[in-house]
Amino acid sequence: MYIYDEIDQKLVEQRVAQFRGQTQRFLNGQLSEDDFRVLRLQNGLYIQRHAPMLRVAIPYGMMTSTQLHALAYVARRWDRGYAHFTTRQNIQFNWPRLEDAPDILAKLATVQMHAIQTSGNCIRNTTTDHFAGVAHDEIINPLVWCEIIRQWSMLHPEFAFLPRKFKIAVSGSVTDRAAIGVHDIGLQALESNGVFGFRVFVGGGLGRTPLVGKLINPFVAWYDLLTYLQATLRVYNLHGRRDNKYKARIKILVKDLTPEVFAQQVNEQWTLIKGGADTVTAEFVSAIADKFTWPSYKQLQDDDGTSIVHHLEANPAFARWFRTNIHQHKISGYSSVTVSLKATGSPPGDITADQMDVLAEMADNYGFGELRVSHEQNIILPDVKTRSLFSLWQELSVLNLATPNVGMITNIIACPGGDYCSLANAVSIPVAEAIQKKFDDLDYVHEIGELDLNLSGCMNSCGHHHVGHIGILGVDKAGEEWYQITLGGRQSGALKPDTKANPDSNANAAIGRVIGPSFAREQVPDVIARLIKTYLSIRESDVERFIDVVDRVGIEPFKKDVYMDPLLAKTSNLVRESNV
Amino acid sequence: MSEECKNLIRDGQLTVNELQRFDVNNEQALLVPPDDANWMVTFDIWVEHQALLADRQFPVAVLIASDVDFDDGISHQVQALCQSDIALIAIDFPSYTDGRGYSLAQLLRNAYQWSGELRAVGDVMIDTVYYQARCGFDSFLIKPGHDAQLALDALHTFSDTYQKSYRQPVKNNTP
Repeated sequence: MYIYDEIDQKLVEQRVAQFRGQTQRFLNGQLSEDDFRVLRLQNGLYIQRHAPMLRVAIPYGMMTSTQLHALAYVARRWDRGYAHFTTRQNIQFNWPRLEDAPDILAKLATVQMHAIQTSGNCIRNTTTDHFAGVAHDEIINPLVWCEIIRQWSMLHPEFAFLPRKFKIAVSGSVTDRAAIGVHDIGLQALESNGVFGFRVFVGGGLGRTPLVGKLINPFVAWYDLLTYLQATLRVYNLHGRRDNKYKARIKILVKDLTPEVFAQQVNEQWTLIKGGADTVTAEFVSAIADKFTWPSYKQLQDDDGTSIVHHLEANPAFARWFRTNIHQHKISGYSSVTVSLKATGSPPGDITADQMDVLAEMADNYGFGELRVSHEQNIILPDVKTRSLFSLWQELSVLNLATPNVGMITNIIACPGGDYCSLANAVSIPVAEAIQKKFDDLDYVHEIGELDLNLSGCMNSCGHHHVGHIGILGVDKAGEEWYQITLGGRQSGALKPDTKANPDSNANAAIGRVIGPSFAREQVPDVIARLIKTYLSIRESDVERFIDVVDRVGIEPFKKDVYMDPLLAKTSNLVRESNV
Repeated sequence: MSEECKNLIRDGQLTVNELQRFDVNNEQALLVPPDDANWMVTFDIWVEHQALLADRQFPVAVLIASDVDFDDGISHQVQALCQSDIALIAIDFPSYTDGRGYSLAQLLRNAYQWSGELRAVGDVMIDTVYYQARCGFDSFLIKPGHDAQLALDALHTFSDTYQKSYRQPVKNNTP
């Protein structure tokens, strides 16, 4: 965990003081609604359906047990005892009062947390692999680099008023778990001639115009990273469209200019600053690395998992959880555990204050007091001794936190939707729950195998529906909620090791294709069930995943089965869409 | 001069703004302002009438709009501007959410080596001067409704910075 030094601490405290002053001026009528709006957004505060919503950053998804306890405190004291993890490694409180926001932020500053730039048209919280630092397939540890980017982007004087929001994701592993292909900038670590650096993808993103990022530089050496980011942002700040908010993201600029011209403009700006004061030095990297407390792993070489074999054999429920929720750790004898926040009946990504406290205690008892948040809205206990997994599982089961569904159909990524969000066209949470109820047979869920089902309540795509193997988008038609289905999306954007031959492709990220007219809310679970039936009937074996089948046969067979189904076809035909 | 007119921050102090913008549609049909103090012309006028504006007893200030594209074939004009005898360069912020002026300031300071006064005008507020100062502005015309004294204080909002290639705000040098 990165530990703040005096300067880091002072900056977040000074930011709280600044925001307290701004809030005060607003409440006293000395700052207009318009002038205050962007200032509060850049401190994480939205005005939502029921109340303000406060989004707190969990930089690159990493937090300590102390911080999680503090979030629980905030939830109890200033909110209604729960909060929501977002798809960008942030946490949201749904019911704070504007007047309390400065005090909440002051409380968070005492545990080295903040809400700086969690909203607004600025550089947002940098995200990464939720197994960063513990993954077995890591090329570099992205945590240090994420912290370097956090510092560089925080309170950045030039890029606080960009045309639109700006999101950076970093992958340090061979397998991309950070969805770098669908970020404004995606950085993929790689090594070239003994020097490590980053492959830079620009212009990916979801929303109204979903696009996969384009490779604009195949290798930026580590020491040039910040000046290269600065040059990229400068081109965007100067030339990104400001006349139309729906065309203001960097993806539109890259598309309009073409990736080649965009890359050339970045190079022109880069030439002016390359090698300058923001060049990263080896001393700086090690100074940052030294401010992290790194886990002191024990030597557990004798334990390669044999200690739990008898539990796996004797207890099928444990074995099932082990299969989906446990991930290989870089250190022998340790495992990383995903605590699913996707139990049926609780909104995806929601967590109660009591659960926060318990998980913080577990992080202390079973690990090194560290936790991660995934963009799939789950919590990770990164460093659990493999031999302790069974007792951890027993504890989690009692708390309904051991749902064995990570990577499965019921691990639904979903935004808060129309129940909370004022932008939403349709609800998300009740639809997610209805699907989870439809798939309540765990044997069947595991039989289906790996499947990403993502759900957004509107075009803004906070639920990442475009990159779900199955995506569901809520749309509004004459005041009614309808749901559009896409198939074939993929969130992973990094190159596979065997695709070196084509370094220009960023292989895996893909945007799903719409299968046809939308469905009424009540139909959605049946439509999903129908799609699954089709998949199971045409897969070649149980290793051929849903997404593999879509890749092999396309969306036609699925489409046909769904729209031929007399029950499903009936009402959907009443609503034809012009944009399909 | 009454206190409330002092809405210009310059040299770390509050002062009165005396610059006035030259109107091309003026009654006398002048192409450029008369050679008196405190005239400001747009960059377009400066480009068009450089020769007329040279060798003045009272050099003009030049106003750059936020949507001027330095790359768009006018790079040499910007270069010439930064080497000519002018009073100051002002960059307009039509709305405080239009952040182009920050990058333009960086380019003027670093790529074009402008070392004279650089003024932020337009939708400039208490809450923007700190970042503007870091990007190279050293004078600020605070918009109506915002207390210029608070804006002056806001130049000290943060005591430290992360980005190494951006300057620290000019310190208040009043005793």
